[in-house]
Amino acid sequence: MTSAPPQHPTDARAAFFAARPTRSATVDLSVRIGSLTLANPVMPASGCFGPALGRLIPVAELGAVVTKTVFGTPRGGNAAHRLTEIRAGMVNSVGIPSRGAAGFLAELHPRYRELGVPVIISVGGHRPAEYAPVVRDLDGAGDAYELNVSCPNLDRLGTDIGSDPDAILAVVRAARQATDKPLIVKLPVLASSIADCALAAQEAGADAVCVANSIPALPLQPDTRSPALGNVIGGLSGPSIRPIVLRLVWLAARAVEIPVIACGGIETAEDALDYFAVGARAVQVGTASFGRPFAMVEIVRALQERCADDEVAGIRDLIDLWRAQ
Amino acid sequence: MTAMASLAREALRRQQAFAAADEAALDGLISVRPPAGQPRPEPVWDDARVLEHTNVGQRYRRLVLATGTIARTALAGQFLMITVPPTGGERILLPRPMAIHRRHPDAGTVEVIYGVAGRGTIALADVAVGGSLLVTGPLGRGFEIPSDARTALLIGRGVGVCAIMASVEDAAARGVDATVVLSGRTRFDLIGVTDCAELGAAVIPVTDDDGSSSIPALGERLRAEFRDNPPAVILVCGAGVLARLAAELGAEWGVPVQVSLEAHMACGLGYCHGCAAPVATDPEVEGPLVCVDGPVFDAALPVSSL
Ligand SMILES: Cc1cc2nc3c(=O)[nH]c(=O)nc-3n(C[C@H](O)[C@H](O)[C@H](O)COP(=O)(O)OP(=O)(O)OC[C@H]3O[C@@H](n4cnc5c(N)ncnc54)[C@H](O)[C@@H]3O)c2cc1C
Ligand SMILES: Cc1cc2nc3c(=O)[nH]c(=O)nc-3n(C[C@H](O)[C@H](O)[C@H](O)COP(=O)(O)O)c2cc1C
Ligand code: FES
Repeated sequence: MTSAPPQHPTDARAAFFAARPTRSATVDLSVRIGSLTLANPVMPASGCFGPALGRLIPVAELGAVVTKTVFGTPRGGNAAHRLTEIRAGMVNSVGIPSRGAAGFLAELHPRYRELGVPVIISVGGHRPAEYAPVVRDLDGAGDAYELNVSCPNLDRLGTDIGSDPDAILAVVRAARQATDKPLIVKLPVLASSIADCALAAQEAGADAVCVANSIPALPLQPDTRSPALGNVIGGLSGPSIRPIVLRLVWLAARAVEIPVIACGGIETAEDALDYFAVGARAVQVGTASFGRPFAMVEIVRALQERCADDEVAGIRDLIDLWRAQ
Repeated sequence: MTAMASLAREALRRQQAFAAADEAALDGLISVRPPAGQPRPEPVWDDARVLEHTNVGQRYRRLVLATGTIARTALAGQFLMITVPPTGGERILLPRPMAIHRRHPDAGTVEVIYGVAGRGTIALADVAVGGSLLVTGPLGRGFEIPSDARTALLIGRGVGVCAIMASVEDAAARGVDATVVLSGRTRFDLIGVTDCAELGAAVIPVTDDDGSSSIPALGERLRAEFRDNPPAVILVCGAGVLARLAAELGAEWGVPVQVSLEAHMACGLGYCHGCAAPVATDPEVEGPLVCVDGPVFDAALPVSSL
């Protein structure tokens, strides 16, 4: 499906599919997340990808795909408007509608499987005890699981599960019992200490942490200054959060040995390299895909080119090269 | 740009007032259309060359875009996501949904007409002829004139006219008698007059300045016009109150009504879940999404109000 020959070789999408990477032979961008090896470190951010994108970009060139967060039971999501754009960012209060684990397996999972890349299933819960049963229900369906302990825009105000190291320990320990597949813990931006949260994830047996989710925010409509979102509060994402998340990735990467996957405002290979330079081993791309659906594939291709240009085998060598200069 | 910006502010204020009225008018009216008779075309993205970019009246801009695949495949009522390139220091992150106003498959072009509303469309207005725009499409579930229909009533207001014009093309191609209500603030603001003339559709122009666009006046006029010979289908876009009027007429005449809706969008492909349609559902079940289940929905008066 992803590598289907373009129907009309006249549009830019068709040309993009046809442009096969030419200089990747000497470059190894692969990265290990626990027992799973990804061909390269680029994947979508949860909620910012769907199998429908397989018709627009060669998804098989990505390291993995990540599903929208799946909850155990169905959820409807928030009232309209669910998203709005502000300067240098967007704010969403989608509220994670979900068909539940059974609905995901029946309707979406087969379409993810056709994409030809590892599938990381994002799992959510309203309380710590809810995660492990979902992972168990989905076991066998995912190549890895990303525990979304950080979605900041659900309607209950108060703390996120992922801002409390003890809650993270509980979630990850239980999930560890539920599957042998790699576990990634996606942390919130407003954790009291990102290092403590990342350490808790590592201690409980996580194979990687993802830093970070969107940042709680309140966008107003121009002129009337009334809330722009039906849910009032949403999560800020996009380029404006990049420097904030860059700091968090740096802190987390110094604290833990497991890989840190960076997520926040990545639009280009240059942005990804910033994150690699502060210790990230992989990157997730969210908001950038809306305006430029091919952004992720462009990043993979540019990283390959960049390593080939500098005659290095991979990204670590590239960073070592900068450090040596 | 300041004149454009103050126009935009005014447009924005009006749009917000309309949005509130629209929401109330659409209450209980909308349902997802049954599966289409033909498969939807596969969407593509393209670097579409901007062949023309001109003013339409005082408030709108018209784009002619060279994008052969989309021009050849788009169905009536489908839309594009237009990625606004950075101009004048302003960066627009989310693409903006815009109806495909006209399809010219032989020339490999499509036309889009847009109102300058906010940051995105202000920046879009600066795009130069000769440059290119990243567009994704054709997207969504469009309008369908039933295969046995010989007549159709199409109602568009403001830029909402753009969503129905490709159906006027379909009607012309299939020999369906189309009557098109074009609604706007003044006669100079009406979109689609020349398109309808070219396509041989009868036009009923109605405007705010002489009161002819008011819902009671328009309702009376359409009831008189079609008393003996109601149209086989009604297609509507541009205001919730017009959709409600269309649903009332549809109930009186016993004919189906289709309405095209708007929502704030990010992906246009059904995966971001940003574009919830104004349909009340069980809180445990996600309602329809405007970008994939719509933008065209069936509109019928709730049973309780019949
Ligand atoms: C399927 C579809 C087809 C459309 N076709 C056309 C068309 O042919 N011509 C045209 O002029 N407009 C069309 N629109 C509306 C157009 O997308 C918005 O006017 C535009 O996105 C506003 O962007 P902005 O940055 O200028 O405004 P913003 O600064 O983002 O907002 C200005 C105002 O527009 C509202 N708005 C923002 N985004 C949208 C949106 N996606 N839909 C509706 N209102 C929005 C905001 O609530 C605000 O009141 C269509 C919308 C949809 C969903
Ligand atoms: C529309 C939208 C929906 C999202 N849904 C989810 C979700 O279901 N689960 C999750 O963990 N993160 C979700 N996110 C957060 C993203 O995965 C990501 O962490 C965030 O957008 C920051 O990355 P970015 O700046 O590259 O977009 C969503 C973000 C957006 C914009
Ligand atoms: S715009 Fe993304 S789901 Fe409709």
